[in-house]
Amino acid sequence: MNTAEEQRWSALRADVDALAAAPAGLDTVLGQLPQWDSLAVLLVITHAEQTYGRALTGAQVRACRTGRDLVALLS
Amino acid sequence: MQTTLAAVRLAGLAVTTGPLVRDFVAEGLAAGQDAAALERVARTVGLRRRLVAAPGQTALDLCADAAARLLAATPEAAGRLDAVIFVTQTPDHAQPNNANLLHGRLRLARTVAAYDVSLGCSGWVHGLQQAALLCAHGGARAVLLCAGDTLSRATNPRDRATDPLFGDAGAATLVVRDDTAGPWCFVLGADGSRARVIEVPAGGARAPRGPGPWVERADAEGNVRHPGDLHMDGAEVFNFTLREVPAAIAEVMALAGWTEPDVDALVMHQANRFVLSSVGRKCGFPAAKTPMDLVERFGNQSSASIPCALAESLGAELRSRPTRIVACGFGVGLSWGAVAFTAGPLTILPTVPLPLSP
Repeated sequence: MNTAEEQRWSALRADVDALAAAPAGLDTVLGQLPQWDSLAVLLVITHAEQTYGRALTGAQVRACRTGRDLVALLS
Repeated sequence: MQTTLAAVRLAGLAVTTGPLVRDFVAEGLAAGQDAAALERVARTVGLRRRLVAAPGQTALDLCADAAARLLAATPEAAGRLDAVIFVTQTPDHAQPNNANLLHGRLRLARTVAAYDVSLGCSGWVHGLQQAALLCAHGGARAVLLCAGDTLSRATNPRDRATDPLFGDAGAATLVVRDDTAGPWCFVLGADGSRARVIEVPAGGARAPRGPGPWVERADAEGNVRHPGDLHMDGAEVFNFTLREVPAAIAEVMALAGWTEPDVDALVMHQANRFVLSSVGRKCGFPAAKTPMDLVERFGNQSSASIPCALAESLGAELRSRPTRIVACGFGVGLSWGAVAFTAGPLTILPTVPLPLSP
């Protein structure tokens, strides 16, 4: 894991409760997290907008399979 | 579009809600859902208690109650009524429209014009612009604006993403011609390219209901609905709101020549706490100036939510003194409307539930 990726993942987990509640890592399959739902998708979109000024669509977030995919989307 | 209208004044407001209480957490627990998961959604989205219409009660009934109470409390303005505008997505019938039915129910004079505006959560601001336009330039002395929906009935009970959101209410707003008042500034907008982000796909002329029952289907998250149910793509609605609402608020404030310290309250459509806190933060308004607890008491009331927030959160100020308001509605269409205006003192009646029929 590189530092930038770590930092993005850490910041994302701080804002998205579905990622923080479980011992989720970059390779965790999002669909296996109990709180990975439509609310979690909204929290990711909010994080992207507030932290990076980026507008993500729900489809983009839902298409992510793992935490690493989410970080890649934010990068 | 931008509109600035002088010589208009808000004379009164009244809101009637549905009488039945729905409790998000209690109902989820009764259905066997996880307590922590329910509390998480309740806390983040603001889903607690909502008031919905009883069987047989419609948006027309809710608005008729609010309108009758308001007109009785403001006899001078009521005597000068020249038009009725009804904003709804849940009319009693495809034809005739709700405004004409209300006209008949209130026994208004034949000289009083009546028409509907087909909008949802952005509709009160659009209706207010229409009412103000009629008073400022249309020869109207007073206009009754009714706005309400019964969206709690438009959703599928097995669609957990949409069904718990809505409360039912009808609002009556009285706008009068007053040469000493105004100006009111409006910004209205639409994005029809994304019209299907909030939709009831079937049941209209394009896809009429057939002779058989609706066919229900589950989406990827297990939410069940049929083509006659209201569906919202929550993530896309949220994106739309984050993009358009702060821009519309900034535009209308610039049109009015106001900055944040000039404004007493930013009153947005009470969609849910998550949306309101995100948009309020982006607009640079302190939370104390941005009412956002209405959805936890009433649910998302569609076009009645802004007048309900005005009455419930700013009633004391509006009854007693001039108050600078920026309001913004946003929703189906996709559409949005923002208004910057000074209101008060004005008549605000208590928000009450529509009694159950005996």
